[in-house]
Amino acid sequence: MATAHHADHPSGLMRWLTSTNHKDIGTLYLFFALTMFFVGGAMAMVIRAELFQPGLQIVEPHFFNQMTTMHALIMIFGAVMPAFTGFANWQIPLMIGAADMALPRLNNWSFWILPFAFTLLISSLFLQGQGGGPSGGWTLYPPLSTQGGIGTDMTILSIHLMGISSVLGAINVIATILNMRAPGMTLLKMPMFVWTWLITAFLLLAAMPVLAGAVTMLLTDRHFGTHFFNAAGGGDPVMFQHVFWFFGHPEVYILILPAFGIASQIIPTFARKPLFGYESMVYATASIAFLSFIVWAHHMFTVGMPLAGELFFMYSTMLIAVPTGVKVFNWVATMWRGSLSFETPMLFALAFVMLFTIGGFSGLMLAIAPADFQYHDTYFVVAHFHYVLVSGAVFAILAGAYYWLPKWTGHMYSETLGKWHFWLSAIGFNLTFFPQHFLGLAGMPRRIPDYALQFTEFNQISSYGAFLFGFSQLLFVVVVLKAVRGGKKAEARAWEGAEGLEWTVPSPAPYHTFSTPPRVR
Amino acid sequence: MAMENLPETQRRAIVRTAVTLGLIAFALFVYTLWRGV
Repeated sequence: MATAHHADHPSGLMRWLTSTNHKDIGTLYLFFALTMFFVGGAMAMVIRAELFQPGLQIVEPHFFNQMTTMHALIMIFGAVMPAFTGFANWQIPLMIGAADMALPRLNNWSFWILPFAFTLLISSLFLQGQGGGPSGGWTLYPPLSTQGGIGTDMTILSIHLMGISSVLGAINVIATILNMRAPGMTLLKMPMFVWTWLITAFLLLAAMPVLAGAVTMLLTDRHFGTHFFNAAGGGDPVMFQHVFWFFGHPEVYILILPAFGIASQIIPTFARKPLFGYESMVYATASIAFLSFIVWAHHMFTVGMPLAGELFFMYSTMLIAVPTGVKVFNWVATMWRGSLSFETPMLFALAFVMLFTIGGFSGLMLAIAPADFQYHDTYFVVAHFHYVLVSGAVFAILAGAYYWLPKWTGHMYSETLGKWHFWLSAIGFNLTFFPQHFLGLAGMPRRIPDYALQFTEFNQISSYGAFLFGFSQLLFVVVVLKAVRGGKKAEARAWEGAEGLEWTVPSPAPYHTFSTPPRVR
Repeated sequence: MAMENLPETQRRAIVRTAVTLGLIAFALFVYTLWRGV
């Protein structure tokens, strides 16, 4: 079943440049994501350092705007999405009993587009004489984005490259799952992580071309005399918001559905029980994906929509709570009367369930159109989406990394360091973002480098938390490096309660696995 | 694992899936621009 042919691939740099092996490409994606996590994190540190006190002390307001914009673009497109694609590359073939991804050469190309895309994006920061990097927010709303300097053009091209990479990756995932499953692995026998990625890939395929269309129109408005978004020329800047959020809301689920999948793998393992309500999990994931396409205008309640539009988007948004509630119920029910143990992956997964739910509830508050008029563009929104994306997506990524690290490296990681990492992250995260709810409700606007005096204390708590959270992530690097270099040998089934094909191959997983497909019963 | 090792039917199915999905993505891109116009 598992075979090792270490001599049949190049070594050194050429191995990584030319590899078509899903494990190599998965590793590349994961290291790229980790690097971008620290680049985007450094920008978050600049933001929190500036906001430590009212007034302007560390950076110019224009540079602050570049930091908020770049932080978002890098974390979304450079850290979270590539991290999940790294998991997909490593785990999907192992979980469905396939020898590799369906289109290995395309896989190599999908990855190697990314370093160029992000070099282009980040290098715009070095062109401060020409306006620097993008500074109108990651949403790139016109007219700010049509007025930006060359950095905006570099961002548009970079987004095109990221989009190509994502769509090619999505095609590969779908082609792999639909055509490469081992005999007997019917769709409803697939692990939840594979299901969530299949649905995510369809979301990517439907959403990314819309973003590409939006930024193409932005580019032609900037340089080729069109007026798609220019009211003076007969265009409509609000149309950009509609097109952008038609991409942007599914994007939110692109960032969270694989996290649901990871939690659905980890919780049963450490509860030592099968996942409760597997089929309802699949249908709930598909429902969330469908609903994600009919809620986009809840991001723009304040632009002045007809009442019927506001009501439609308010109710459709609230409807998402139903399938999401099904998921949270199923995770809790999986743990009910389970034989629980609390290793680091389980701690991160539990924190994910609890804190993501807080983010879900604040999302429900924001869904209420009249309440959103008050919350819109305040720190309440910042608190909300960081609960969803940091304690949601990032915690799930960390949970998954700890969970599968023994399979990837062949060594158990240091549980002591892992637990330190978890607790410092959980405390730092909540210190950073919980006070931001209060700041938002009190009226502090987002994306502004200065604030009124009465917001000082909560901002200082938030900045202390951010530094704690940020620097504690260095522990994760130590954990990973230690596990790569050595440590206690991991068994094929690294966790007592783990189920699934990936645990039937040795740890570390050999370079080639499932050359002969396994038979699934 | 080279694709050449897969059975012909499976190879064809993979290429068919990939080409169909690629065309759908490109059509969505063009449709977005057309709606913008």
